[in-house]
Amino acid sequence: MAKTILAVDDSSSLRQMVAFSLKAAGYMVVEAVDGQDGFEKAKQQSVDLVLTDQNMPRMDGLSLIKLLRGLPTYQKTPILMLTTESSDEMKQKGRAAGANGWLVKPFDPQRLIEVVKKVIG
Amino acid sequence: MTRKKILGSHVKRLLAGVSDHGRKHLTEVETDLIQTELLLEEAVEKLTASFMAIHSAVGAQQDTIDFLLAGGKPSVEESRRLTGMSGEIGAHVNSAITSMQFQDMTSQLIDRTLKRVSGLREFLGTLGAYGNEVQPETSSEEIVDLLGKMSIALAIQSIELRSTLRKAVNQQHLESGDIELF
Repeated sequence: MAKTILAVDDSSSLRQMVAFSLKAAGYMVVEAVDGQDGFEKAKQQSVDLVLTDQNMPRMDGLSLIKLLRGLPTYQKTPILMLTTESSDEMKQKGRAAGANGWLVKPFDPQRLIEVVKKVIG
Repeated sequence: MTRKKILGSHVKRLLAGVSDHGRKHLTEVETDLIQTELLLEEAVEKLTASFMAIHSAVGAQQDTIDFLLAGGKPSVEESRRLTGMSGEIGAHVNSAITSMQFQDMTSQLIDRTLKRVSGLREFLGTLGAYGNEVQPETSSEEIVDLLGKMSIALAIQSIELRSTLRKAVNQQHLESGDIELF
Protein backbone atom coordinates (compact mmCIF):
# COMPACT_ATOMS: atom_id res chain seq x y z
CA MET A 1 0.00 0.00 0.00
CA ALA A 2 1.28 3.45 -0.95
CA LYS A 3 2.62 5.57 1.88
CA THR A 4 0.80 8.81 2.65
CA ILE A 5 2.48 12.19 2.89
CA LEU A 6 0.89 15.31 4.35
CA ALA A 7 2.08 18.37 2.37
CA VAL A 8 1.47 21.65 4.20
CA ASP A 9 2.02 24.93 2.37
CA ASP A 10 0.01 28.14 1.97
CA SER A 11 1.13 28.49 -1.65
CA SER A 12 -1.27 26.50 -3.83
CA SER A 13 1.23 26.30 -6.70
CA LEU A 14 3.89 24.93 -4.37
CA ARG A 15 1.47 22.35 -2.98
CA GLN A 16 0.57 21.30 -6.52
CA MET A 17 4.24 20.87 -7.45
CA VAL A 18 5.01 18.88 -4.31
CA ALA A 19 1.94 16.69 -4.84
CA PHE A 20 2.75 16.17 -8.52
CA SER A 21 6.32 15.11 -7.71
CA LEU A 22 5.37 12.78 -4.86
CA LYS A 23 2.43 11.18 -6.69
CA ALA A 24 4.67 10.52 -9.70
CA ALA A 25 6.93 8.56 -7.34
CA GLY A 26 3.99 6.47 -6.09
CA TYR A 27 3.09 8.22 -2.84
CA MET A 28 -0.36 9.32 -1.75
CA VAL A 29 -0.57 13.00 -0.85
CA VAL A 30 -2.87 14.87 1.49
CA GLU A 31 -2.67 18.66 1.10
CA ALA A 32 -3.15 21.30 3.79
CA VAL A 33 -3.20 25.09 3.33
CA ASP A 34 -1.53 26.06 6.61
CA GLY A 35 -0.40 24.70 9.96
CA GLN A 36 -3.90 24.75 11.44
CA ASP A 37 -5.33 22.84 8.47
CA GLY A 38 -2.34 20.48 8.58
CA PHE A 39 -2.93 19.71 12.25
CA GLU A 40 -6.63 18.98 11.64
CA LYS A 41 -5.84 16.70 8.68
CA ALA A 42 -3.10 14.90 10.62
CA LYS A 43 -5.60 14.17 13.40
CA GLN A 44 -8.22 12.94 10.92
CA GLN A 45 -5.94 10.42 9.26
CA SER A 46 -2.60 8.92 10.06
CA VAL A 47 0.19 9.85 7.65
CA ASP A 48 3.68 8.41 7.17
CA LEU A 49 5.49 11.71 6.64
CA VAL A 50 4.76 15.39 7.13
CA LEU A 51 6.35 17.90 4.78
CA THR A 52 5.70 21.44 5.95
CA ASP A 53 6.46 25.03 5.05
CA GLN A 54 7.45 27.45 7.85
CA ASN A 55 5.85 30.84 7.17
CA MET A 56 2.10 30.41 6.83
CA PRO A 57 -0.98 32.29 8.05
CA ARG A 58 -2.84 31.10 11.17
CA MET A 59 -0.15 28.58 12.19
CA ASP A 60 3.48 28.30 11.11
CA GLY A 61 5.47 25.13 10.53
CA LEU A 62 7.34 25.13 13.85
CA SER A 63 4.09 25.46 15.81
CA LEU A 64 2.59 22.62 13.77
CA ILE A 65 5.57 20.37 14.56
CA LYS A 66 5.32 21.13 18.28
CA LEU A 67 1.60 20.31 18.29
CA LEU A 68 2.09 17.11 16.29
CA ARG A 69 4.88 15.95 18.57
CA GLY A 70 2.44 16.31 21.45
CA LEU A 71 0.15 13.69 19.89
CA PRO A 72 1.03 10.07 20.74
CA THR A 73 0.54 9.01 17.09
CA TYR A 74 3.02 11.58 15.78
CA GLN A 75 5.88 11.23 18.23
CA LYS A 76 7.94 9.13 15.81
CA THR A 77 6.51 10.22 12.44
CA PRO A 78 9.17 11.86 10.27
CA ILE A 79 8.59 15.58 9.76
CA LEU A 80 10.55 17.55 7.18
CA MET A 81 10.54 21.31 6.74
CA LEU A 82 10.39 22.62 3.16
CA THR A 83 10.87 26.36 3.35
CA THR A 84 12.62 29.41 1.91
CA GLU A 85 14.19 29.93 5.35
CA SER A 86 17.82 28.93 5.28
CA SER A 87 19.44 30.39 8.40
CA ASP A 88 21.18 28.15 10.93
CA GLU A 89 19.11 29.79 13.65
CA MET A 90 15.85 28.67 12.03
CA LYS A 91 17.22 25.18 11.36
CA GLN A 92 18.17 24.93 15.01
CA LYS A 93 14.65 25.95 16.01
CA GLY A 94 13.26 23.31 13.68
CA ARG A 95 15.44 20.64 15.15
CA ALA A 96 14.50 21.67 18.68
CA ALA A 97 10.81 21.55 17.76
CA GLY A 98 11.18 17.99 16.52
CA ALA A 99 11.80 18.24 12.77
CA ASN A 100 13.82 15.42 11.21
CA GLY A 101 15.19 17.45 8.33
CA TRP A 102 15.32 20.79 6.59
CA LEU A 103 14.92 21.31 2.85
CA VAL A 104 15.50 24.79 1.48
CA LYS A 105 13.30 25.94 -1.42
CA PRO A 106 13.33 25.80 -4.33
CA PHE A 107 13.26 22.00 -4.32
CA ASP A 108 14.37 19.71 -7.11
CA PRO A 109 11.72 16.95 -7.48
CA GLN A 110 14.31 14.21 -7.92
CA ARG A 111 16.22 15.23 -4.80
CA LEU A 112 12.97 15.55 -2.87
CA ILE A 113 12.00 11.99 -3.81
CA GLU A 114 15.45 10.73 -2.84
CA VAL A 115 15.12 12.29 0.60
CA VAL A 116 11.56 11.01 1.08
CA LYS A 117 12.65 7.50 0.09
CA LYS A 118 15.54 7.70 2.51
CA VAL A 119 13.22 8.75 5.32
CA ILE A 120 10.17 6.53 4.80
CA GLY A 121 11.20 4.14 2.07
CA MET B 1 20.05 77.28 25.56
CA THR B 2 17.75 79.85 23.97
CA ARG B 3 14.18 78.92 23.05
CA LYS B 4 15.09 79.23 19.36
CA LYS B 5 18.06 76.86 19.73
CA ILE B 6 15.98 74.29 21.64
CA LEU B 7 13.34 74.40 18.94
CA GLY B 8 15.97 74.10 16.22
CA SER B 9 17.57 71.12 17.92
CA HIS B 10 14.20 69.29 18.17
CA VAL B 11 13.35 70.02 14.54
CA LYS B 12 16.79 68.74 13.53
CA ARG B 13 16.34 65.54 15.57
CA LEU B 14 12.92 64.92 14.05
CA LEU B 15 14.06 65.48 10.49
CA ALA B 16 17.13 63.28 11.03
CA GLY B 17 14.89 60.51 12.40
CA VAL B 18 12.46 60.75 9.48
CA SER B 19 15.35 60.71 7.03
CA ASP B 20 17.16 57.84 8.73
CA HIS B 21 14.14 55.55 9.21
CA GLY B 22 12.73 56.40 5.78
CA ARG B 23 16.03 55.66 4.06
CA LYS B 24 16.47 52.33 5.86
CA HIS B 25 12.98 51.16 4.89
CA LEU B 26 13.30 52.35 1.31
CA THR B 27 16.66 50.59 1.00
CA GLU B 28 14.96 47.35 2.08
CA VAL B 29 12.19 47.96 -0.46
CA GLU B 30 14.82 48.51 -3.14
CA THR B 31 16.73 45.34 -2.15
CA ASP B 32 13.55 43.23 -2.18
CA LEU B 33 12.51 44.59 -5.59
CA ILE B 34 15.95 43.93 -7.08
CA GLN B 35 15.87 40.39 -5.67
CA THR B 36 12.36 39.89 -7.10
CA GLU B 37 13.55 41.09 -10.49
CA LEU B 38 16.54 38.72 -10.43
CA LEU B 39 14.34 35.74 -9.53
CA LEU B 40 11.74 36.63 -12.18
CA GLU B 41 14.37 37.06 -14.90
CA GLU B 42 16.00 33.73 -14.07
CA ALA B 43 12.63 31.97 -13.83
CA VAL B 44 11.51 33.20 -17.24
CA GLU B 45 14.86 32.26 -18.77
CA LYS B 46 14.86 28.75 -17.26
CA LEU B 47 11.17 28.08 -17.88
CA THR B 48 11.56 29.13 -21.51
CA ALA B 49 14.52 26.74 -21.86
CA SER B 50 12.57 23.91 -20.20
CA PHE B 51 9.47 24.38 -22.36
CA MET B 52 11.55 24.56 -25.55
CA ALA B 53 13.39 21.38 -24.53
CA ILE B 54 10.09 19.60 -23.74
CA HIS B 55 8.66 20.75 -27.06
CA SER B 56 11.72 19.48 -28.90
CA ALA B 57 11.69 16.09 -27.11
CA VAL B 58 7.95 15.62 -27.71
CA GLY B 59 8.45 16.53 -31.39
CA ALA B 60 11.22 13.96 -31.74
CA GLN B 61 9.04 11.36 -30.03
CA GLN B 62 6.18 12.13 -32.43
CA ASP B 63 8.54 11.77 -35.42
CA THR B 64 9.51 8.30 -34.21
CA ILE B 65 5.86 7.33 -33.61
CA ASP B 66 4.95 8.53 -37.14
CA PHE B 67 7.83 6.47 -38.53
CA LEU B 68 6.63 3.36 -36.65
CA LEU B 69 3.00 3.90 -37.71
CA ALA B 70 4.18 4.08 -41.31
CA GLY B 71 5.57 0.55 -40.86
CA GLY B 72 9.20 1.59 -40.36
CA LYS B 73 11.53 -0.57 -38.33
CA PRO B 74 13.54 1.46 -35.81
CA SER B 75 17.27 1.03 -35.66
CA VAL B 76 18.94 0.05 -32.37
CA GLU B 77 19.93 3.68 -31.88
CA GLU B 78 16.34 4.89 -32.49
CA SER B 79 14.91 2.30 -30.09
CA ARG B 80 17.39 3.38 -27.43
CA ARG B 81 16.53 7.04 -28.00
CA LEU B 82 12.78 6.31 -27.76
CA THR B 83 13.23 4.38 -24.52
CA GLY B 84 15.22 7.21 -22.98
CA MET B 85 12.85 9.92 -24.13
CA SER B 86 10.49 9.61 -21.18
CA GLY B 87 13.40 10.14 -18.80
CA GLU B 88 14.59 13.11 -20.84
CA ILE B 89 11.15 14.75 -20.72
CA GLY B 90 10.93 13.98 -16.99
CA ALA B 91 14.24 15.76 -16.39
CA HIS B 92 13.00 18.86 -18.23
CA VAL B 93 9.72 18.79 -16.26
CA ASN B 94 11.70 18.53 -12.99
CA SER B 95 13.80 21.50 -14.04
CA ALA B 96 10.62 23.46 -14.84
CA ILE B 97 9.16 22.57 -11.42
CA THR B 98 12.25 23.96 -9.70
CA SER B 99 12.02 27.18 -11.74
CA MET B 100 8.28 27.58 -11.17
CA GLN B 101 8.90 27.99 -7.47
CA PHE B 102 9.84 31.59 -8.21
CA GLN B 103 6.18 32.37 -7.50
CA ASP B 104 6.43 31.27 -3.87
CA MET B 105 9.57 33.33 -3.28
CA THR B 106 8.61 36.46 -5.19
CA SER B 107 5.15 36.56 -3.63
CA GLN B 108 6.78 36.57 -0.17
CA LEU B 109 9.10 39.39 -1.25
CA ILE B 110 6.24 41.39 -2.75
CA ASP B 111 4.11 40.83 0.35
CA ARG B 112 6.97 42.10 2.52
CA THR B 113 7.36 45.16 0.28
CA LEU B 114 3.63 45.92 0.40
CA LYS B 115 3.59 45.67 4.20
CA ARG B 116 6.59 48.00 4.38
CA VAL B 117 5.01 50.54 2.02
CA SER B 118 1.82 50.39 4.09
CA GLY B 119 3.90 50.91 7.26
CA LEU B 120 5.66 53.89 5.70
CA ARG B 121 2.27 55.39 4.80
CA GLU B 122 1.23 55.08 8.47
CA PHE B 123 4.58 56.58 9.43
CA LEU B 124 3.90 59.64 7.24
CA GLY B 125 0.31 59.73 8.52
CA THR B 126 1.60 60.01 12.09
CA LEU B 127 3.86 62.85 10.99
CA GLY B 128 0.90 64.64 9.40
CA ALA B 129 -1.38 64.09 12.40
CA TYR B 130 1.12 65.62 14.82
CA GLY B 131 1.82 68.42 12.31
CA ASN B 132 -1.88 69.32 12.30
CA GLU B 133 -1.72 69.98 16.02
CA VAL B 134 0.64 72.90 15.44
CA GLN B 135 -1.45 76.07 15.17
CA PRO B 136 -0.31 79.68 14.62
CA GLU B 137 -1.00 80.40 18.30
CA THR B 138 0.90 77.31 19.58
CA SER B 139 3.73 78.34 21.89
CA SER B 140 7.37 77.36 21.36
CA GLU B 141 7.28 75.14 24.48
CA GLU B 142 4.27 73.30 23.14
CA ILE B 143 5.94 72.86 19.75
CA VAL B 144 9.10 71.49 21.42
CA ASP B 145 6.95 69.07 23.42
CA LEU B 146 5.09 68.00 20.27
CA LEU B 147 8.30 67.52 18.30
CA GLY B 148 9.66 65.29 21.06
CA LYS B 149 6.49 63.18 21.03
CA MET B 150 6.64 62.95 17.22
CA SER B 151 10.24 61.74 17.27
CA ILE B 152 9.45 59.05 19.83
CA ALA B 153 6.25 57.91 18.07
CA LEU B 154 7.99 57.66 14.71
CA ALA B 155 10.97 55.77 16.14
CA ILE B 156 8.63 53.25 17.79
CA GLN B 157 6.60 52.83 14.59
CA SER B 158 9.75 52.30 12.55
CA ILE B 159 11.19 49.73 14.97
CA GLU B 160 7.86 47.86 15.11
CA LEU B 161 7.73 47.79 11.34
CA ARG B 162 11.26 46.44 11.10
CA SER B 163 10.65 43.72 13.69
CA THR B 164 7.50 42.44 11.97
CA LEU B 165 9.21 42.25 8.59
CA ARG B 166 11.90 39.64 9.16
CA LYS B 167 13.41 38.55 5.87
CA ALA B 168 12.47 34.94 5.12
CA VAL B 169 13.66 34.80 1.51
CA ASN B 170 17.36 35.28 0.84
CA GLN B 171 17.56 33.29 -2.39
CA GLN B 172 19.08 35.18 -5.30
CA HIS B 173 18.89 32.27 -7.74
CA LEU B 174 16.59 29.38 -8.57
CA GLU B 175 19.10 26.62 -7.89
CA SER B 176 17.66 23.87 -5.70
CA GLY B 177 18.32 24.54 -2.02
CA ASP B 178 20.31 22.71 0.63
CA ILE B 179 19.02 19.56 2.28
CA GLU B 180 19.92 18.63 5.82
CA LEU B 181 18.67 15.60 7.69
CA PHE B 182 18.93 15.82 11.48
